Amino acid sequence: MPNLSVTRRTFLAGTGVALLSRSGLLTPSPAWAAAKVGVAAPTFSAGATSGKNVALADYKGKVVVLEWTNHLCPYVQKHYETGNMQSLQKDATGGGVVWLTIISSAPDTQGYVLAKEADDLTRTRNASPSAVLLDPKGVVGKMYGATNTPHMYVVDKSGTLTYAGAIDDKPTTRRSDVQTARSYVREALASVAAGQPVKTPVTRAYGCTVKYDA
Amino acid sequence: MWTALVTAIVLFAVGVSAAPAAEPAASPRVSVELLSEAQSVVPGHTFWIALRQRIAPGWHTYWTNPGDSGEPLRVEWSLPAGFRAGEVAWPYPERIPAGIAMSYGYSNEVVLPIAVTAPSDLTIGRDVTLRGHASWLVCEKTCIPEEAPVALTLPATREPSPPDPRGAPLIAAARRAVPTPSPWPASFIATDQAVTLTVAAPDLVPARIEEAWFYPARWGAIDHAGPQRSTTNGSGITLTVARGPLAEAVAGPIEGVLVVAERLDGVVSRQAFAVRADPRATSTGALALVSALALALAGGVVLNLMPCVLPVLSVKALGLVHHAEAPPAALRRHGLAYTLGVLLSFAVVAGVLLALRAGGEGLGWGFQLQSPRFVTLLAYVLFALALSLSGVIVIGARFTGAGQGLVGRGGYAGSFFTGALATVAATPCTAPFMGAAVGYAVTRPWPHALLVFEALGLGLALPYLLLTLVPAWRRFLPKPGAWMRRLQQLLAFPLYASVAWLVWVVSRQAGSQGVAIAAMGLVLIAFAAWLAQTTREASAPWRRSAAVCALGLVAVALTIALTFTSARAPLSALEGGAEPFSPRRLAELRAAGTPVFVNVTAAWCITCLVNERVALRSPAVAAVFARKGVVTLKADWTNRDPLITRVLGSFGRSGVPLYLLYPSGPAPEPTVLPQILSEGILVDATENI
Repeated sequence: MPNLSVTRRTFLAGTGVALLSRSGLLTPSPAWAAAKVGVAAPTFSAGATSGKNVALADYKGKVVVLEWTNHLCPYVQKHYETGNMQSLQKDATGGGVVWLTIISSAPDTQGYVLAKEADDLTRTRNASPSAVLLDPKGVVGKMYGATNTPHMYVVDKSGTLTYAGAIDDKPTTRRSDVQTARSYVREALASVAAGQPVKTPVTRAYGCTVKYDA
Repeated sequence: MWTALVTAIVLFAVGVSAAPAAEPAASPRVSVELLSEAQSVVPGHTFWIALRQRIAPGWHTYWTNPGDSGEPLRVEWSLPAGFRAGEVAWPYPERIPAGIAMSYGYSNEVVLPIAVTAPSDLTIGRDVTLRGHASWLVCEKTCIPEEAPVALTLPATREPSPPDPRGAPLIAAARRAVPTPSPWPASFIATDQAVTLTVAAPDLVPARIEEAWFYPARWGAIDHAGPQRSTTNGSGITLTVARGPLAEAVAGPIEGVLVVAERLDGVVSRQAFAVRADPRATSTGALALVSALALALAGGVVLNLMPCVLPVLSVKALGLVHHAEAPPAALRRHGLAYTLGVLLSFAVVAGVLLALRAGGEGLGWGFQLQSPRFVTLLAYVLFALALSLSGVIVIGARFTGAGQGLVGRGGYAGSFFTGALATVAATPCTAPFMGAAVGYAVTRPWPHALLVFEALGLGLALPYLLLTLVPAWRRFLPKPGAWMRRLQQLLAFPLYASVAWLVWVVSRQAGSQGVAIAAMGLVLIAFAAWLAQTTREASAPWRRSAAVCALGLVAVALTIALTFTSARAPLSALEGGAEPFSPRRLAELRAAGTPVFVNVTAAWCITCLVNERVALRSPAVAAVFARKGVVTLKADWTNRDPLITRVLGSFGRSGVPLYLLYPSGPAPEPTVLPQILSEGILVDATENI
């Protein structure tokens, strides 16, 4: 009798987290201060999939893009399956920009990966980040106030945070929106390269919540 | 491919279905269906449909501002020609915290109302199918975008059909949770760290407010996940929250929804208000105080010219004419004593006012006038003064300050009390500029409020004070003569006019019985005055017994003025075209077949007041009441009333509001309307009687 009519794309890999301590989420948020656009980006150091530690300070004098990701999040998948993220990465790194992909999913939550799996993802998706950082404790994510995947940040050559927010202005999972979207990250990179102030420095990031440890 | 196939099958299945509502489409997380409030479509009519989502436990969908992540539902309509669908009317959301982020959305179930307008050229009798494609995001720990076609088939009829028994109540309940425009002005101050939102709602009773939470309409102005500290006091709600990251979001107005949880009789009721807060510069606090003080001072000076104060002060000034040659030092001391009297009296009025406000009373200037007893007593005082100016009785140096007492030492107390009297006399008068200053004062911390009141007092005292301080100015006073006596008698008439006005106030507060009591008291006072004056020259025993009689008469006048509690009628009962409620009147109207709306309310019930503002007084409601011939009976429970308490009890209630709609037919039982009314609920309910 009921018309089976929901057409959905299956994105969910069973993570089995279920209702992981909801009460834990209600406790006061830890002392964190979201990074502020217009001032120095918080410095951090985190383990990369290469096994080495990567610090923001290593890239002094270079423009750095931070990309928060979770490969199982449908919003992230929109940008990877359409090749949008990869082309952004190629264009950026080709122009001398450092691209750091950061995974802040806590163990046992959606998007949590070990180094090998992360590298496999980079290879199979034909991505070209400068490095993939593993942040399972959410230290870097909370330092930057990253709430979504994808959540994008641009740091200029002087180490100032110049952009924080969404990848573009189409907060949907619709693949077709990628073509018509206005890419905030591309705009920010162009302004920074030209030595001009970023026109839209802060936007509402959209996507899935970052799966921090509760 | 598979998607398209299923969609096609579903569209086909829905298309051939003759059921009034479509079967819900379901995923393991969300089932979605379209509801309608009516069982048919009427050409040219606008009616409500709704998209209902039933959501699996632990999962949630999103509000129009989803918060820090998420995405609101979207519907793409493919409607038959001529049909128009409005935007989703979003019920207020719940808070869904997720670590450092906050989402706004719905769990378990949400009904999203949408207004649909039918074209006027519908073919009667033919079915109409409204189709749409809904897409939404549903999240738990993980997020899944889902979509489904939705459809609803209704027949087109010429006349409106009865409400759909399933859809109508669900849609009505959902529309109650849709924010109504805030009746209160709102503003905010943004610093680098925080946004402080102020909603000027002086009619809220702080003790009844359980929680106030602000949901911004857009991302960026406030930190969604930040705690909101809110306080409610006599001036309204102040809410402070960490500022959001988007600088331009606090440059213009902040829009959003304020949800106020009010304790009503043990039950917590939530009201959602659409708020638009305008930015307020941080420096205006000090500027506003300075301008409020200036306004208060000017208002005080103008008070001297008001009909209730002018006579008192003129007589005082006439005393100066008389004693132009008195030692300047003595005159100065009189001026200062008078000023002190005014300032202290204003301090007392301000103190009482602020104390009562702190206790949650919604008061403003002239709050004393809310008591018919006080109004009557004030009428007595002004009447006695007027009699004295008319020459019926010479009260002596004390009040008027004329005569020997002025220069004598004992006259200083007289001057002081004249100041107090001027303040009392000024109570019923409101000078221009005063309203703004006092209105500002009562919303500020008490030291500011006190300053404003004192500035008002200083303004009132200023003209006389200057005349006593600057001897040169007294040259402008005219020479004494017989004209003074005539002027004094003439000045009695503004006071009589003030008395007449006060008696009218009593009539509004306590009805004709109150007027009778006040008028009787005035007669007694006049008689007492005549008695005292006429025996003034008589022998001592006569004088003494006459004085006892006069005091007795005044005592009787005061006593009857204080009996108002039993005689008091509700002030607001006759407002807005409503008749006061009585079981007899209700029975009469019912017997005559008249539909009746019973509004059980109280002045101190904020929900009642909000309902009156947003629903009962709306033109649409007035129109439908007029068309259906509905008579409104207002039962005012502001003062405990056993009769109304019994009515409440018979409907299982022990508190207000209670709204009853009696149809015109013989049905014995009224419809009990929800405690939170909207224009739509009232119009719909009335249409259906």
